[in-house]
Amino acid sequence: MTEPILEVRGLVKEYPGVRALAGVDFEVRPGEVHCLVGPNGAGKSTLIKCVSGAVEPTEGQILIDGQPAVTGDPSRALENGVATIYQERDLVEDLTVAQSIFLGHELRRWGLLDRNRMRRETVEILRRLNHEAISPRIHVRDLRPAGQQVVSIARALSRHVRLLIMDEPSAILDDSEIETMFGIVRRLTAEGVGVVYISHRLDEIRRLGDRVTVLTDGRTVASGLPATTPADKLVEHMVGRKVGQLYPERRRGDHKVVLEVRGVRRLPDVKHASFEVRAGEVLGIGGLVGAGRSELLRAVYGVDDREAGEVLVDGRPVPPRRPDRSIAAGLGLAPEDRKSQALLLDWNLIKNVTLADVGRFQRGLIRTRVERAAAEEQLRALHTVPDDGTRMARELSGGNQQKVVLARWLLHQCRVLLLDEPTRGVDVATKAHLYRLIADLADRGLGVVVVSSELEELCGFCTRILVMREGELVAEVDGAEATELELLRHAMPDRQEMLAQTAVPAAAGADAGQEEV
Amino acid sequence: MSTSPTEQVSGVGGRADGNGRPPGLAGLALPSRIKLQEYALVGVVLALVVIGAVLKPDTFPTSDNFRAILTQASVVGVLAIGMTFVIATAGIDLSVGSVVAASGVAGGLVVDSGAAAFVGGAIGFGLGLGLVNGTAIAYGKVVPFVATLAMLAIARGLALLMSDKSPISLLGSDGVRWFGTGEIVGVPASIIIFAGIAIGGWILLNRTRYGRHVVAVGGNREAARIAGVPVRRVVFSVYGLSGLLAGLAAVLLSGRLASASPVAGELLELDAIGAAVIGGTSLAGGRATIVGTFLGVMVFAIMFNLLTQLNLATEWQQIVKGAIILGAVLIQRPERI
Repeated sequence: MTEPILEVRGLVKEYPGVRALAGVDFEVRPGEVHCLVGPNGAGKSTLIKCVSGAVEPTEGQILIDGQPAVTGDPSRALENGVATIYQERDLVEDLTVAQSIFLGHELRRWGLLDRNRMRRETVEILRRLNHEAISPRIHVRDLRPAGQQVVSIARALSRHVRLLIMDEPSAILDDSEIETMFGIVRRLTAEGVGVVYISHRLDEIRRLGDRVTVLTDGRTVASGLPATTPADKLVEHMVGRKVGQLYPERRRGDHKVVLEVRGVRRLPDVKHASFEVRAGEVLGIGGLVGAGRSELLRAVYGVDDREAGEVLVDGRPVPPRRPDRSIAAGLGLAPEDRKSQALLLDWNLIKNVTLADVGRFQRGLIRTRVERAAAEEQLRALHTVPDDGTRMARELSGGNQQKVVLARWLLHQCRVLLLDEPTRGVDVATKAHLYRLIADLADRGLGVVVVSSELEELCGFCTRILVMREGELVAEVDGAEATELELLRHAMPDRQEMLAQTAVPAAAGADAGQEEV
Repeated sequence: MSTSPTEQVSGVGGRADGNGRPPGLAGLALPSRIKLQEYALVGVVLALVVIGAVLKPDTFPTSDNFRAILTQASVVGVLAIGMTFVIATAGIDLSVGSVVAASGVAGGLVVDSGAAAFVGGAIGFGLGLGLVNGTAIAYGKVVPFVATLAMLAIARGLALLMSDKSPISLLGSDGVRWFGTGEIVGVPASIIIFAGIAIGGWILLNRTRYGRHVVAVGGNREAARIAGVPVRRVVFSVYGLSGLLAGLAAVLLSGRLASASPVAGELLELDAIGAAVIGGTSLAGGRATIVGTFLGVMVFAIMFNLLTQLNLATEWQQIVKGAIILGAVLIQRPERI
């Protein structure tokens, strides 16, 4: 067996009052993809930051190629060949691809930028990644998320990289784009690069990983398991106990139609969409990123204008561009990006929960005691941690922030909830919990619409699933009979060969890359 | 931010450790930044008072002097309350100084019909100019900085035009002069009015749906819109409010000077913005405090009074004022790099 590139021994990181890491052991061998999983707050990010030099560990050792590494110095880590791609895209959108890749270590000649050489080397690196179709001269903003990620990886490769750390790289990609990224990772590992891969999606671990390490409460609870370890086993390690089923029982739904969408159009994203939502059902909408799903939800809810079409709640039409009227009619939207579209991070939970409906607490003045009691009642009902309403929204984990958004709509007693990627960036145990909550909401008689890029979860608990492709709803599948493959077939553009290529990841990766240009 | 009142009323400190939960990474609840800043400002105000009493024991710590300080502060104070609402929406109103002049002149033109006409004319004119700002910004999508910069020029021009470039005397109207010299149960009317506006502003910002909406629009416009907040109407209204209060400030100022001058109110926008900002209201929006603004106004007023008593030239007062604003903003800047 080859010498590991990275060895972490007994790593401890203490912040005032908190032990973020309480003894982590972990190693990465050349050419392997080592997946790191664990609930939010388990210490994954802290571990990465220690390895990449962004923070200084309190105790323990980090060995690179068997040599103790200097800690707490990002530039030394880079020199040692440790590159990190963080969760947030960290590219400047106004720069070109070549400028982005060499940002911070620009090549110079006679003191001036050597733009030709940077472009040449950019082409070289992109070729190595099998993405030579991306031009070094185009702007980052003109690339789709997958293309931007290729640039992030290329940037890591523009320095000599031995160990690549990827923090939830798939969070912003759809299924076909994820294959593109997998293709790249496989090329790198074939060259002997070691990869640390963090993801909440257990299916990715099976598809890409060689070994898995589970982190919980700052400790490694299982290190170096084979990637074939069944998902339930991993979840058990994470939560420290047996979990029941990941998905709740499928809700059947009522006959009563609560939401009717007739011929909604908003070009170019939504060409034509008609569907009904019944009380008590969970309606899934699947499709690739860019298929127009989020845009459809926004047009139905009326944040964005509709060029044509009608939306009826309980048979009564709801006007476009008037979220307040939609809310009054009983619609609620939990948008794709909780932080930028749903929450006021510097507000406390009470005010976040009551934002859509503060008026009901106002008798002359807002009765803050009543307001707080009502908000906390909803937070408790959703098992939000913490349920203390005076805490700031910023302090909560992603799953709990999502619950705050749900609490807002429950407070208002809404009839139809539109949830856009409700489980994005949330760990598996919390996902299971959210699925159950969503199913419970359906039991209360709400109609729930779930947009998700994770076809597996749609198959897992939706009553019916609609598939959207290029701005149109192209298929309806009964949830109990749906398979990921069937949904993907509907979701992919109308070419049989595309489907064949997804089965061969590297080839699909190359193909998806071509679209970026 | 208006979280603090909720905590006060419900009587719960609301910190993680109080619930017996171990403080996780997310549990390190920070004391509200606005609170800290308010405490610090109370300290600054007290320190200034002590320094004044030590340096000028005969003339500074007297009730007459404090009345003078508060009367002086009332004009800027009224403007700063309006400015706090504007800044809370992540906006800015650079026009208030000129609007004060234009409103005063507008009132002066109708003062012959009585003091009520003067007050109505001034406040109405201020409101009108504010609504022009609001229309340009909320519906015309002009950036607040630019729209109100344009109004700064327009309103000053209007003031000069309407007054034919010379001050209008108000000596003949006792009713108008009451706003500068009158008293209610022994307290100067302008102080009572300022206090009323401050308290009213606090209630509006912290205890009404409207105030919640104002701060929500500044904190996260998109989230506010999705939550059904009528974003444009809110933005429109804060500029109207700011204009209206500029009209009221013109009444207080004209009453005190017994004239309405077209060159009055220069650089008042700087004082109003400065007071709001050193009080802890964030220029980025989403964080606003009336108490802080009040304290900010007091810091400026006491400082001004003290420096005058120490015979420091007004040039120095300007420099000190600028330095205070800069210092306060440096303290406030986010921890993120």
